[in-house]
Amino acid sequence: MRHLSIAESLREAIVEEMQRDNRVFCIGEDIGIPGGWGGAFTVTLGLEEKFPDRMLNTPIAELGFFGAAIGAAMMGMRPIADVQYSDFLFLAMDQIVNNAAKMRYMAGGTISVPLVMRAPVGATGRGAQHAQNMERYFTGVPGIKVVAVSNAYDAKGILKAAVRDENPVLIFEHKLLYGSKGARAESGTVDGSSEVPDEDFVLPLDRAVVRREGDKVTILGWLLMAHLAEQAADQLAEQGIDAEVIDVRSLNPIDYDTLGESIGKTGRVVIVEEGAKTGGVSAEIAAGIHERFSDVLAAPVARLASADSPVPFSPILENAYRPDVKRIVATAQQLVAGDVVAS
Amino acid sequence: MKDVEIRIPDVGTTVDEIEVVRWLVEVGQHVELGQPLLEVETDKAMMELESIAAGTVKQLIAQPGQEVATGDIIAIVESNEDGAAVSVSSVVKTSESTETPSAPVFASGNQFIQPQSIAESSEIEVNIDSYDQGFLLSLYERMALIRTFEERVKLLFLEGSMPGTIHQCQGQEACAVGVCSALREDDYITSTFRGHGHALAKGVTVDSLLFELYGATTGCCRGKGGSMHVGDMSKGMVPGIAIVGGGVPLAAGMALAFKMQKSPQVVACFFGDGAVAEGAFHEGINLAAIWDLPVIYVCENNHYGASTRVDKVMKNDRISDRAAAYGLRGQTVDGNDVLAVYEITRQAVNLCRNGEGPMLLELVTYRRTGHSRRDACHYQPKEEREYWMNRDPIHLLGQRLVGQRGVAEEELEKIQAQVNQQFDDAMAAVPDQPMPTVDELTTDIFA
Repeated sequence: MRHLSIAESLREAIVEEMQRDNRVFCIGEDIGIPGGWGGAFTVTLGLEEKFPDRMLNTPIAELGFFGAAIGAAMMGMRPIADVQYSDFLFLAMDQIVNNAAKMRYMAGGTISVPLVMRAPVGATGRGAQHAQNMERYFTGVPGIKVVAVSNAYDAKGILKAAVRDENPVLIFEHKLLYGSKGARAESGTVDGSSEVPDEDFVLPLDRAVVRREGDKVTILGWLLMAHLAEQAADQLAEQGIDAEVIDVRSLNPIDYDTLGESIGKTGRVVIVEEGAKTGGVSAEIAAGIHERFSDVLAAPVARLASADSPVPFSPILENAYRPDVKRIVATAQQLVAGDVVAS
Repeated sequence: MKDVEIRIPDVGTTVDEIEVVRWLVEVGQHVELGQPLLEVETDKAMMELESIAAGTVKQLIAQPGQEVATGDIIAIVESNEDGAAVSVSSVVKTSESTETPSAPVFASGNQFIQPQSIAESSEIEVNIDSYDQGFLLSLYERMALIRTFEERVKLLFLEGSMPGTIHQCQGQEACAVGVCSALREDDYITSTFRGHGHALAKGVTVDSLLFELYGATTGCCRGKGGSMHVGDMSKGMVPGIAIVGGGVPLAAGMALAFKMQKSPQVVACFFGDGAVAEGAFHEGINLAAIWDLPVIYVCENNHYGASTRVDKVMKNDRISDRAAAYGLRGQTVDGNDVLAVYEITRQAVNLCRNGEGPMLLELVTYRRTGHSRRDACHYQPKEEREYWMNRDPIHLLGQRLVGQRGVAEEELEKIQAQVNQQFDDAMAAVPDQPMPTVDELTTDIFA
């Protein structure tokens, strides 16, 4: 066992998979430049020395190189394509949604697209176009598996599983959870490090994880919000409210089995999402919970999300924009007290 | 001779009212297959409806101003042909004159460069005597098969018996056949929404192609793709990418895989003149250039992106000029000369297999049929259309076979008859094909 940051555990996963299978390669901007940064968040630092032929640095052409990654996957390679900021996924939308997600279906099952895509999300003082949470644009696309990793153990097991999966898998990571060091360290970083086994392991791509057990209220979150939810649970415990925190982790499909077990116990649910409230992934989860578990719900599902605005710059505004521990605690208290949670 | 009922076809599921506007023909008039008979108006559009038989107009039943519905009989044509078989005479016209028609002028005033001079200046040496007779006849057969398939499918679609939509390639047969004849079975092609010709040229069977258009599980995509996505990986054809330009980065990636795998395979990526305006074209071809990928980018410049003429969407005279912008080789060739297309592709394939790819080929050609469905091509100037109608790629090869290789016309007619029979046999098998069941709706999404 070693204690690793997410950036370190992702790097290990990539190295181990590339050693295990020489069809695996990385493709992205600035990912393998000698003397460079290993991508914007140091994940691929130094890998060009280990794998000089399999770290493909691209021009600034997301539509082009995501399309190329899809084509290579169709011909038997196993590419890991990344965008520097998840906001740039918009540039690749046609290739991802119209090609990667649909190729197998249109071909009547005669093609596979074993493609891994990686994208960092989250507001970090960089302004509206480098700050979005992009999960919602992909969770509704049939043909793509969508996951979000919030600690080093999950990051390694999920990335390995994604590489070995025969389908397009989109892995969302969070800029504030990487734990990158040195010049690329992020201010406002939250600790996403964890114990990581030495031996090879994979994790299922379609399961949620209970991070903290409780029986009064279920708090669902992912990425940064999963960590803030745990912090909120500590504070709620001091007030005698025992919260169960679940890291949703698989955003498409949603693991309703795990969610259902929890909701059966608590009857109350808060979903915390970083990203504008309207049209978010929480809306889908809330609808799904009502359809399946309305007989055990003591109250309607509560959603806590970012404001319906572009991500602002000024720190005062950015902090107001995004859910924080205080608001998670308040929402859970309201729900437990039987008050209707204001929308 | 038999009476053929002309009925109102399915003009769209959201259309309620169809009104007859006016007849374009008179009783006693001779009409050809596909000739417009009348104009109708729906709440969506004015459109012309075409004859599904050649013969003499016997009776006009519907009156101008009358409201009609899908399936109503509106006229009778006394047909002078058996069935709807495409005859040799409609495909290969023996021409006394060997003179080239003069070049058409675009409405904008730009003079279009005659394909013959393009072929000459592009240094494509074509010596018809250097080819094996069997090979030449196979080129002819394949082009005739594509033409026949497309003409028969057009009528089936107009009759209303075929679902969905169609984007056809009549007139562009030499592009598909010339390119694919230079590829091996394990080379790949990517295609577009206009992929029927590419499919037949690459070896997809008539049966699996036709069955796919009817949505059967024995179709090449198990009924899940349809006309715009036909393909067959076992024959080296990726299902058509219907987003214009979408196949350009994909093909670069496939070539990247071949290079990384140290495989001698190459990929030919078909797209039209409209695609060169898309960002995907720019990004994909640039990747192919910087990584020296074994991909042949084949632009079928048929002068129109849907209804918009190519000189309205770019300043360049030649699409192949754009290759220089990316630092790769480009070449423009007469797309209706199947041997010139074959030769240039052969050269490009060899370069790619030697690691000296990629290449951008511009094949200058013309679409004889509409963009899709019932497009009557009113945006194509009459002189331009006539010029290209006289440069039928199948006729051009047929002329050379007869004139320079001693092939008898009867032999060409025999090929045509075989091709007609192939289609008839496939058509006869359509009613027996299994259709998907509803539980197949959500299969084949994930592996």
